[in-house]
Order: sequence, then C-alpha cells, then structure tokens
Amino acid sequence: MRAPLAARAYRLAPSLLMGALLVWLVAIPLAFLVLASLRPTGFPLDAGLTFDHYAEVYGSPGLWRLIGNSVVFALGSVAIALLLGGGLAWLVERTDLPGAGAVRALVILPMATPPLLMAIGWSMLLSPRAGALNLLLRDLLGLAEPPFNAYSMPAMVFVQGLSLTATAFLFLAPAFRNMDPSLEEAALASGASGWMLARRVLVPLLSPALLAAAVFLLIVGFVVFEIPGTLGMPARIFVLSSQLFYLASEAPGGLPLYGQVSALATLLLVVLLGFGLLYRRLTREAARFRTVTGKGFRPRRMALGAWRWPALGFACAYFLLAVGMPVGMLAWMSLMPYQVPPSVAALALATLENHRDFLDSPRVFEAAANTMLVAAVSATAVAILATLIAWFVVRLRVPGAAVLDALAFMPVAIPGVMMGVALIYVYLTLDPIIAIYGTVWILVVAYTTDYLSFGTRATGGVMAQLHPELEEAGRTSGAGASRVLRRITLPLMWPAIAAVWIWVLAHAMRELSIALMLQGRDNRVATTLLWDWWQGGEPTRAAAVGVWLVGALLVVMVAWQLLGSRLRRGSG
Amino acid sequence: MLRIRGLVKRYDRTRADAFAVRDVALDVGAGEFFTLLGPSGCGKTTTLRCVAGLETPDEGEIRIGESVVFSGAQGRVMPVARRDIAMVFQSYAIWPHMTVAANVRFPLEAIGIRGAAAERRVAEALEMVGLGAFRDRPAPLLSGGQQQRVALARAIVKGASLLLLDEPLSNLDARLREQMRVELRDLQRRVGTTFVYVTHDQEEALALSDRVAVMRDGRVVEMGSPHDLYLRPRTAFAARFVGQADLLACTAARPEGGLLLLHTALGPVLSACFPDAPGPRLSLLVRPEHIEFAEEAASGPNLVAGRIARTVFSGRLVEYVVALDSGASLRVQGTSGRLRAEGDAVRLRLPPERCVVVEGLPEDAE
Ligand SMILES: Nc1ncnc2c1ncn2[C@@H]1O[C@H](COP(=O)(O)OP(=O)(O)OP(=O)(O)O)[C@@H](O)[C@H]1O
Ligand SMILES: [Mg+2]
Repeated sequence: MRAPLAARAYRLAPSLLMGALLVWLVAIPLAFLVLASLRPTGFPLDAGLTFDHYAEVYGSPGLWRLIGNSVVFALGSVAIALLLGGGLAWLVERTDLPGAGAVRALVILPMATPPLLMAIGWSMLLSPRAGALNLLLRDLLGLAEPPFNAYSMPAMVFVQGLSLTATAFLFLAPAFRNMDPSLEEAALASGASGWMLARRVLVPLLSPALLAAAVFLLIVGFVVFEIPGTLGMPARIFVLSSQLFYLASEAPGGLPLYGQVSALATLLLVVLLGFGLLYRRLTREAARFRTVTGKGFRPRRMALGAWRWPALGFACAYFLLAVGMPVGMLAWMSLMPYQVPPSVAALALATLENHRDFLDSPRVFEAAANTMLVAAVSATAVAILATLIAWFVVRLRVPGAAVLDALAFMPVAIPGVMMGVALIYVYLTLDPIIAIYGTVWILVVAYTTDYLSFGTRATGGVMAQLHPELEEAGRTSGAGASRVLRRITLPLMWPAIAAVWIWVLAHAMRELSIALMLQGRDNRVATTLLWDWWQGGEPTRAAAVGVWLVGALLVVMVAWQLLGSRLRRGSG
Repeated sequence: MLRIRGLVKRYDRTRADAFAVRDVALDVGAGEFFTLLGPSGCGKTTTLRCVAGLETPDEGEIRIGESVVFSGAQGRVMPVARRDIAMVFQSYAIWPHMTVAANVRFPLEAIGIRGAAAERRVAEALEMVGLGAFRDRPAPLLSGGQQQRVALARAIVKGASLLLLDEPLSNLDARLREQMRVELRDLQRRVGTTFVYVTHDQEEALALSDRVAVMRDGRVVEMGSPHDLYLRPRTAFAARFVGQADLLACTAARPEGGLLLLHTALGPVLSACFPDAPGPRLSLLVRPEHIEFAEEAASGPNLVAGRIARTVFSGRLVEYVVALDSGASLRVQGTSGRLRAEGDAVRLRLPPERCVVVEGLPEDAE
C-alpha cells in the first residue's frame, strides 16, 4: 500500500523537524570543527585546504606525553572512583553498615560540590607553599619539606577520583540493590566459600553494570577540564582537555591556534565517540537482561561484625575528603582578608568583607542573574526536547528514530572546550544573521546541546517503562494524539521530566569549560567569575563565590533527591 | 456490523514469510458476541488491533457498521479516534494518575460530552459494573478485579457500537475469572453492543460466545457456534483445540445407509457426521466423554474390546486409558458412580453420531 504524498509528509514531519534541529545543534558544530582543522587559517569557511595543523599536532614531540598524561589521568581517576564508589555502594546496599540510609542520602553532598571548587579547595589544602594541610603536617611531623604537592599528577588523579565517586555510586548502587539474592543463596547452598561467591557469582552478575559505569566514567575522565585546569596547568601538566583550552585561549603567541585545536579535537572526538557507542551497546544489553518480576525480595545483608565501625569510618572519610575538607577550606578562606591557614589565632582576622563584596558588586549580581537565566532556560529547553525525542523514538518509532537517538546521544562525548570552540566557529561565522555570539544565548545553545544526551536517556528510560496500552487506551477512547499526550503521557512522565529539569539546572549552574570558552562581554556567569578571581590572585573572593554556589546547588540537589524518591514511589 | 476481507499484516517486511495475519475474512453481526480463539502467537491480538486502528494492515478491507475504516486498495486509514469502537486491554491500562470516575469520564470528554450529562453516564457505567461506590477512589488503589471492571466501564460509557476485548480475564485468578465470565456475558446482553473478544482459553470462548473463529498461524481455520465447533468440527486442529480429543487417522471406505464406513486402527467404524466431499487426509474424532461402556452381551456397530491400562481419579470424573485388543488405545471418561479397576476387561461403544470425520491427519493438529 502506498500512502498518499500528504500522508507521508505528515508522517515524516516529526523526524524531519527534530532531525534538522539536532543536526543544527550537534552535527553542524562538529562538521565545522573538522572543517576548521583543514583550513590554513583555522577558520571553517576560509579558503584553502591543508594538513599542516595535523602535521603540527601529531608530529609534535610532546604528543605522546600528552596522550600518556590523559590516559593516566582518566584511568587513574576512574579506578579510584570505581573502588570508592563500588565499595560504598556495596556497604550501603548489601551490608549492615550503621547509618546506611544516611550515607545514601548524603551522596548528594558531593554532587552539589562542583569539581572546580573541589580542586580549589584541595589546592588551598595541599599547595606546596601555602597549603594548610601541608603546613600542618610539616610542623606536626617535623619535616623539612611540605609532604604533598597539589599541582601534580597524583593530586589531580586523587581529586578527580573523589569527584567521580558519587557518580560511580549512583551507577552501582541499583545494581547491588537489584541483584536477586536467591542467586547468591543458591551458590552458598552449593557449598561455595565467600571468596568463590564473590568471584564466580557476584562479579559476573555485576559486570554489565560495572563495565557500563567504567566506560561512562572514562568518557567523563577524558572530557573534564576543571580539575586538570586548576591543578595541572599551573605545573604545566597537560591532558587533552586542558591542552585544547590552552591552545584556544592562552597560547604563547597570544592568538588562539584554532587550526591546531580542531586537529587535536578531531582525534579526541573519534576516541570518545567510540567509547560512547560502546557505552550504548553495553547499556542496551543490560536493559535486555533486566526483567521486572514484581516479586519483592529482601537482599541478603552481610554482617560486618567487628568491621562495622571501620567501614563507617571509611564512609565518613570519603565525605570528609570529597566535601568536608575542601568546602570547609573554602568557607574558611571566604572569611579571610587574604589566604591564611586555619588556626585559632587567625580567627581574629575573620571578616565578612568578601561576602559583602559578593552581595554588593554589580558584576556579581550580573553573573548570578546570568547563571540563573542560562540554567533555567537550558533546563527547560532540554526537558522539552528530551521529552519530545523520547516520545518520537520510543513511542511513535518515527522513521529514522535510530538516527535521532544517536544524534541526541553524541554530545555526551564532546568535551566542553571542544563544544565551545565549535560553537565559536558556527556563531562567529553566522554573526551577521544570528547575533548571539558573546551573549548568554550562546551558552543556552551550548548547554542545551551538551545535556541533551542525559535528558533523552532519562526520559526515554521512563517512557519505555510506561506500558503502551495506557496511551492506546486513550486513543481507543476517542482522543486524538495531542489530547493523549496532554492528558495521559505528560502527567505520567511528569516526575521524570521535572527530575531532568533540575539535574540540568544544577549542571548548567556549575559548568565551567564551555562558559569559559564562550565568555564574552555580556555573558559572565558565576563559575567564570570564580575562575577569573582565582586565576587573578584573589582566592578569598573566589572562595566567597564558591560558598554561595555550593549553597545554591545544595538546594537544587535536595529538590532533585525529593523528586527522585517521589518518582520511585510513584512507579513502585 | 464488522466486516473484514483479505486482511494481511506483516511486522517484518524484509522476510516474505513473516506474516502475523494472512488473508483473514470475518463477518460479525450486530449484537453478536464473537470470539477469536487460538494458540499464542496466532495473530488474534494483531487482528483486533488492526480493527481498532492501532496497527495499520498491509492489505485488505475493514468495515465497521457502514464506514470503511481501512482499505488497502483505496489507501484509506481512518484515525483510531474517529472509529466507532472501544477497547479493553489485557493490562487493563487504567490511568494511575486519575480517579475511577476520571478514568471513565475520559472517553466522554474526548467526544465532547461534559457536565451533568457526562456525570450521569459515568454513574450509569459504574453502576453497570458494580463499582458505584468507588467513583472517587484513585485508580491504583483497586484490586485486579476492580481494575478490570473500571476498564469495562470505561469501554461501555461512550456507547460505541463495537467493543474489542483482548484477553481481558487472563490476569485474574481462576475463581474471579469464572465470576467475571458470567458478568461479562450478562453485560453484553444488557448493553446489546457487538463484542469481539480475544482469548486462548477454549472454555472461556465456548462459554461466552455466540460464534467462535479458531485461528492458527495468522489464518482463520474454522468458524462456527460453540456447539458446532465442539460437536461437529470440520478440521483436526479445531477439534483438538476446543477440547479433549482422541484423533485417529482413517480412510473412508463406503457409505452405508446414511452413515460412512471408515477403516481405522480400531477396525471398521461407522460415522454419522462426515464432510460431503471428504479429502484424502482424514481423521476420526472421538471425545472421551462420548464413549460409552457397553454390556458384555451388547451387539451392533462400533463396539471394541480392551483392558483398562490406567485410571486417573479426579473426584467427579474418572479418566481411563483403555488398551484395545486391536493394539490402539483410547481415552474414556466415566463418572465416579461406577469405578473400574486397572486390568478390567471392558467393551466400548462409540456412538456413530459422535464419531466425527475431520479434515487433516492427527499430526496436523499439533
Ligand atoms: N510489534 C511486533 N513486532 C514484530 N512482530 C510482532 C509484533 N507483534 C506481534 N508480532 C508477531 O506477530 C505474530 C502474531 O502476534 P499476536 O500478538 O497477534 O499473537 P496473539 O495471537 O495475540 O498471541 P497471544 O495469545 O500470545 O497474545 C506473532 O508471531 C508475534 O511474534
Ligand atoms: Mg495477544
């Protein structure tokens, strides 16, 4: 049967419109990026064709160092995150850890601490000259030299590992929680020892979740800029993301080396998209094995015995290292007129000057307003787009659904710096037509694109769990598509959509690298202000901004947590 | 009321043989309770969804009342919302974010009926399914049986002339299922709507329906009243699918005084129920409850002798497996009024009017 032309156009319209939008948001910037790497000037629409940038980048003697650094940084921090996050998840979900519920709730604290602030906090603690912890340990132990150096690869790996731990925990806790205990019991009943149980049953059962978490974290490990930028760049230790930033904004000649940036970014893009594909394959397999039996079971909880308190100590130590010490340090510094290590004597210096300054300055007010505006608009845009895409892909299965899904997923593998550079190309080129370069709207475009992958995964997952008969019942009741969407689909999806909105809000508020790349006259946000003050040698004013940012993020994360628990209760 | 011709639906267009439904033709009269019966995966749901408009068929024509809702030849597809139907789903599909009354009111809102008129009809529909007291209850706080009734009320409230039901009772436990079966039949009588009902439970199909279509591999193999399907099926598949049956390969020998003489593994058997033009592959159908135990001295046609090989006692009924002297074996059902022991010698009579010749060999019915 051939549908008439009008009917076919009607059927294709959603795919075409959404496809065009996604191509505009995702594919065009990447195409510009690749194009720029082949232009002598480094600008995509200029004339000429050259491989010089590639020769320059890939022939440079430092390339292997750079790649080596990046791999060590990513692997090291992911290993730490999986170890800590997996350990915490296991303790919370499968053992009789005292206060397991509190630990689970407190995981939002590290989520509310932007990596940038964690890095600044730790550099205040461990900087070789003035680090408070360094000085304390030196005096206590009578050492000649401060024992630690914040501006080193081990410190970068350590802080990044701490910062990824909460994400690892969120990935692994459900896997531990949903593991059917009868599988463990069957192994124990057949005489397996504890070690055999772990090796032969638990690890294979968990391996899909572990692998998915590892691949996702690796992507993040290659993409992040905040910690390598804060702790690595002062010591000239570069990873790919910070090298991109360096070439694009602080290159020796003073002019951005866009051609080289693009040539380097192209390699990274290929690697990361490979990881992205792998991750999608892994999670799709995992979803296929997930069967909801509706049979409630109580997981076996292992008795920790004498290890209960050391285990709790481990959990507390994590929170102390990831949140307590760095944020406490920030709070302290925000009260100081200049960088002074905490001590009773220094309390006399305490002043609210930085906070007052923060609240009074029009520059700060503008940055705060921009932050809220950009975060709220991007969150709304992502929520709407993600819902529509999930609806098209999961439910309507429009023609080309797989392409839409893939396009929406790609941004997860694009480093912020790269996204920033790509958007510079697009909107600098189009400035005469779409004049958003240097305004907050270019940030909105960037964040909407960047967080779309998270948004579509979340809404798509929830939509896949909604029984299609719920909507079909609406249609056979005589309701048209829009009424079904309005009265049935959206109300049922509402908690998930709201959770996406809040998640994007929080992440847009704490994002640094994109904002930095796209920084112009009119679009300063809280994180760029913080960065400028930190880099400009005003650590105490930066600390005050940081404290307010953490406060705001905490409010948002608590809201997210509450919504999440309502969502779980609603679907259970 | 409903007329389907040449319906074809393929899910996998890349494979030529992957039919979910092939060449289905049906006619359902107004006010009829019509059932599609068949094993899992035979295309019952697909057929029903094509009628509802939730799937678009590849070929054929579907007419509901006077309106053509689908025509492959003319490229016509009427949107679901405009079809004069209502549907009850296997999962009930009760909207969890609405109350019972809001669920039932929804179809009325969709066709633009509001206010007091809508309230009255909602109350009527809820009364009809015995849920008058539950109208303001949030829908998730209902038991399975109550949710099922809400789904029914929601389907009858707008007075569509065709009601489609996809295994509506399969999620209920056995006792509730029996009870709902009776209520469903009563409800259909009272509202007088045409029902098209899908099930794979043959007892349910026979108990509820005016007519049943037996489906297999996307085709309708046989259609008829429950009575005819059970007592005078035409195909080996339908014979076995609607109830317990022993099928024996047979060949037609010659007519004998209005009956047909058959050669079977039991020896010669006379049948009073046979096709006008029997094909080459035939089976003899005898249902265990139709076989009689005969007196020692009895004489006449269709008598066979054997020994009881096995008995299965289930209270009201006793099932015997009889090993016949000819080497074949037959299942026979008796009552617990007179019990027989394993090893007893027995003589069996197969009443000619209950010896049915069906098309197809016994293995075709698997
Ligand atoms: N969405 C689909 N995509 C691909 N194949 C499908 C789809 N829906 C059904 N099929 C296939 O079409 C055939 C008929 O399916 P249908 O759901 O109509 O069976 P059914 O008779 O309702 O079975 P059941 O009693 O198990 O519900 C089956 O082989 C099934 O695997
Ligand atoms: Mg079905």
